[in-house]
Amino acid sequence: MSDDLIVARNLGKAFGTTRALNGVSFRVGRGRIVGLIGPNGAGKTTALKALLGLTRFDGELAVLGLDPYRQRHRLMQDVCFIADVAVLPRWIRVRQLIDFVAATHPRFRREVCEHFLARSDIKQGSRVKELSKGMVTQLHLALVMAIDARLLVLDEPTLGLDILMRKQFYETLLNEYFDEQRTILVTTHQVEEIEHILTDLLFIDRGRIVLDATMDDVQEKYAQVAVRPEHLAVARTHRPIGERQGLGRTHMLFHGANRADLERLGEVGVPSVADLFVAVIQGARA
Amino acid sequence: MDTNWNDSLPIYRQLRDRVVAMILEGVLNDGDPLPSVRSVAAEYRLNPLTVLKGYQQLVDEQLVEKRRGRGMFVTEGARRALMKDERQHFLEEEWPKIAGRIQRLGFEPKELLDALDKIPPAPASSLKRDEEPGEGEDRE
Repeated sequence: MSDDLIVARNLGKAFGTTRALNGVSFRVGRGRIVGLIGPNGAGKTTALKALLGLTRFDGELAVLGLDPYRQRHRLMQDVCFIADVAVLPRWIRVRQLIDFVAATHPRFRREVCEHFLARSDIKQGSRVKELSKGMVTQLHLALVMAIDARLLVLDEPTLGLDILMRKQFYETLLNEYFDEQRTILVTTHQVEEIEHILTDLLFIDRGRIVLDATMDDVQEKYAQVAVRPEHLAVARTHRPIGERQGLGRTHMLFHGANRADLERLGEVGVPSVADLFVAVIQGARA
Repeated sequence: MDTNWNDSLPIYRQLRDRVVAMILEGVLNDGDPLPSVRSVAAEYRLNPLTVLKGYQQLVDEQLVEKRRGRGMFVTEGARRALMKDERQHFLEEEWPKIAGRIQRLGFEPKELLDALDKIPPAPASSLKRDEEPGEGEDRE
């Protein structure tokens, strides 16, 4: 088997006349941390559902070499998932929940889950309804990260968490979960908090992939320049893909432009994922 | 170390620069282990590959060496080599600018040396245990 954990070719999905996925193709390799980023309604959740075998789709899709829709049961032994709408039964006690997952998932490591929970304020005797929103999310994460899976899918994993818990979540993910044998696919609107963690970017808009690049590619091929006013006209001849006003400078984003040419226009830097996202989405819609 | 990255250089390059600064400041001495890739990745929320790339750059510059199964260590003589580069950089790049400014302002050497006596010494960590001849002479 190749190192590609996910191979998607020409994925399509329509809801009535709305095309949620329209010819989506991409690959995800082992040991990568991939950010699937798109505006609301872009098709992110539909794509994740297809990968997890939760919805039918047109086109070809292999996840860990399996067809997610037909071989879902086998796939789930090596995949874990946190939905953005994390729902746990309100009446259940934490201990019962751990017992349940331990009994249903062959790769669940109870001691790892208990280790994560020991660092939170969550008590095993508490019921879900007694926990705060942040604690429910933490509980969910503890359950999922305790599964020894090869592919972890995170859909808005830190929604509802405060800044301290978010930081702790990504620290734990990198320190105690991730290694080169595992692969993580994450969607979030908080791109600035994950941009340095990612190895790859997938931008999706209106059901299509509009950017598929490694972070190394982004750093090599894209450049953000703080253009001085006197160089504006020259800068525009290099066809920036994005432009925004700053203090006395116009920040322009270039793709594939000659580095030496850009250096003459102003200070050159690496674009943030957020700036890149805005430019690429606007470009794709123009 | 603070966790603010600037956007003018790739992160791995900034990480390399920070380790260099730590060696120059004597926070990391010859033979000291570098923090593990995993711990740096977690602490700064960076992809482990980014950290590895920064460390690899230091290996390529022979400032850091890999010891099989034990991690990365500051190479013997790394600080001396860096200091040599820094001193050369100072003499070639910075000193001409400073010298030009001194001339424009019309200072006599004695005035500058007298003024130097009033400046508190640099923190010990920045120049401590330095056996390189001539270092620190500007403060004597």
